[in-house]
Amino acid sequence: MALLWDTSLLLRKVKDLRCLTPRRHRVKEKWAATRPKLPPTRLAVHHFDATYSTQLGQLWPSVRLAMLSERKYGALLNNFSHNAVLAELKAQGCIDFISEREREVPSCLEEKSEEPSDVSMKSSDVDGEQLSLSPNIKCLVFPRGDVTRFKPARPDKNSLLGYYLMDAASLLPCLALDVQEGHSVLDLCAAPGGKTLALLQTQAIRFLCINDSSVSRTLRLRKVLHSYVPKQLLTNENLRITSFDGTKWGEIESNTFDRVLVDVPCTTDRHSLMEDDNNIFSKSRTGERRRLPQLQLELLLAGIQAACPGGEILYSTCTLSQNQNLSVVEQAIYQAREKDGIHLQVVDLRPLTRMFGNTFHFAPDLHLGEMVIPHLAANFGPIYMCKLKRLT
Amino acid sequence: MGTRVAVNQVLRLAVRNATISTLCPRQFGRYYLQSRWCCSSTNQATQHNQDLNPPSGIPVTELSLRSFIDMGFTESQAEQIYESLANVRRGDSAKHILPTLTALFVLGLNPSSVKKCLEKCPELYTIKEAQLQQRISNLRKMGLVEGSLQRVVAHYPRILTVPLKRVKNVVMFLKEKCLFTSQQVTDIIRDCPAVVLENLDQLEYKFQYVYFRMGVKQAEMVKCRLFRYSLDEVRCRHTFLERRGLYETPDKKGQTTIINPSLDSILNVDQDTFLAHVAQASAEEYDVFKRLAAREWQEEELQQGRTEPDSDDEDDDEDVDDDDDIEAKSGYGKRRKK
Repeated sequence: MALLWDTSLLLRKVKDLRCLTPRRHRVKEKWAATRPKLPPTRLAVHHFDATYSTQLGQLWPSVRLAMLSERKYGALLNNFSHNAVLAELKAQGCIDFISEREREVPSCLEEKSEEPSDVSMKSSDVDGEQLSLSPNIKCLVFPRGDVTRFKPARPDKNSLLGYYLMDAASLLPCLALDVQEGHSVLDLCAAPGGKTLALLQTQAIRFLCINDSSVSRTLRLRKVLHSYVPKQLLTNENLRITSFDGTKWGEIESNTFDRVLVDVPCTTDRHSLMEDDNNIFSKSRTGERRRLPQLQLELLLAGIQAACPGGEILYSTCTLSQNQNLSVVEQAIYQAREKDGIHLQVVDLRPLTRMFGNTFHFAPDLHLGEMVIPHLAANFGPIYMCKLKRLT
Repeated sequence: MGTRVAVNQVLRLAVRNATISTLCPRQFGRYYLQSRWCCSSTNQATQHNQDLNPPSGIPVTELSLRSFIDMGFTESQAEQIYESLANVRRGDSAKHILPTLTALFVLGLNPSSVKKCLEKCPELYTIKEAQLQQRISNLRKMGLVEGSLQRVVAHYPRILTVPLKRVKNVVMFLKEKCLFTSQQVTDIIRDCPAVVLENLDQLEYKFQYVYFRMGVKQAEMVKCRLFRYSLDEVRCRHTFLERRGLYETPDKKGQTTIINPSLDSILNVDQDTFLAHVAQASAEEYDVFKRLAAREWQEEELQQGRTEPDSDDEDDDEDVDDDDDIEAKSGYGKRRKK
């Protein structure tokens, strides 16, 4: 007995000897130093420096500065809440950039082109006709250069919050979508819900279909909707929340919707630069990041298929990258024509840029779509958007 | 005639004071002052004898307006000094005036710069003679040669009010913590004498910021008179450049992928030149940036101050508050990079 005990003890001691441990238990010693560990935010900066400095040229330093500094918010007013938020915020110095732009823009136009003043008047009239903005979407921002922050919104007596804080530029895709009375609308990648909420504020939608492939994000979206929209409007007749794979939408429901918003997942430039957690530039997500353009293309194609002939599709991202913006749209137009026989027309969004040129900085000379670029005085964006109209 | 009496009184006073002091430079000072008074009294007495009748019962320790004029001040300067003296004079401080003036004159400052010194720093009136001499000789010992010493005192008279120990501490700190050479320390004291009154912790932070974050070596710091600028000024311009992608922290071999602008071109230029030539940005951007940066740093300090004592409780409280608004929380609450 004692002998057995001794041997087991002996064996345990001997186990540390390298030659006696089985090969599968051996730990290989590290010789080479591991690769330098860079946080994903640093990787993102390197990546952007390399790609955007050629793409944006002179503009890049100021865009970089703006993206690395604190972003500016807009307060999307909740029409369903009964708080007197509008007056309160206006007293703090906010302006509603959607309704109050008319005062500013004509004067600005006249300044620019003094001689043909009647022409500019006409063109601005034409803009108003081309883009009928929903009067129900109100978004308050602090004026240019003002860095005041919004306070968190407070709930009213029905426990609905007074406003939703979001990047004011994210509202532009919703405005550009141009939802009319009685439309059925599909939001293909809806979470976290800012754009969805803006669409609901129009109160013109007959049926809204909200989808996001991730279940947890859909749950969050539901929470947002419940804290902003009264329950009687969140019925099954006018709202559907799903979490399917958006790329398959063309097979599920094709030729259905009047308006489709395709706000695809992207490298979310601002987030990637500022925060290390959940960052798409982390080493473990390299593959996912490389597949993004392909995923975006598939989503856009699905959105195109889901729209009815004559319907309109709006593609938007929050990145400056050309590969994820222009190239995807170009490729989608080509593939839709070749594979599905769908002809698409690009809708000009320049009226929109002319309307909001005072609030946002738009990238100059984009041959397809429009892009809001961040600038420190108006630190919104980046947002890229391109509107397509389905002809057949 | 009355003026002659006053001069004599002051002279007597000065001589008595000077003989009390046993320090070597004082001897020189006595002769210097005497000669100055002798020549000034002869030519100025004729000009100003009508309005300056000294009270006959003046005690010996009091200095009259007349005597200031005799020291070489102009009439208006003398009046100003006399008035400021009247404000400062409390208790027995008055007896330090004469040694202070003597010491300043001995340094070789002319009356107008002496007056400026006193204006800049009225505390000089109340310093004890021995301390003053000690401080001046300490500055000499540190390697401030004649000329620089006068400039430092004229520029920053407060340096004479700083205790010896404090100056020595700062010098030790600069040598040991920041590894400046003695010559560099002398240059720092000469160019930025205000450094002796700065908080040592902040001084160390500023040095480390420039050394580690900006990768600038000691010699260049001294050359660019870094210590004239506050941490916020340095940090603001550097961060602005860094975020624009125009400045990189060198790696451990001192290499960067871009050529950093020199510290000199960042600090020793006015804002417009800095924006136009170094940062290539608009004034609007820099203005907004300054406000944002100030707020960022303020929050950083708050957060640091809060994490040192029991941090958990307060953080929890904030979380509860923020839960009201999801978007606001994700936007503002988690801004800080850890």
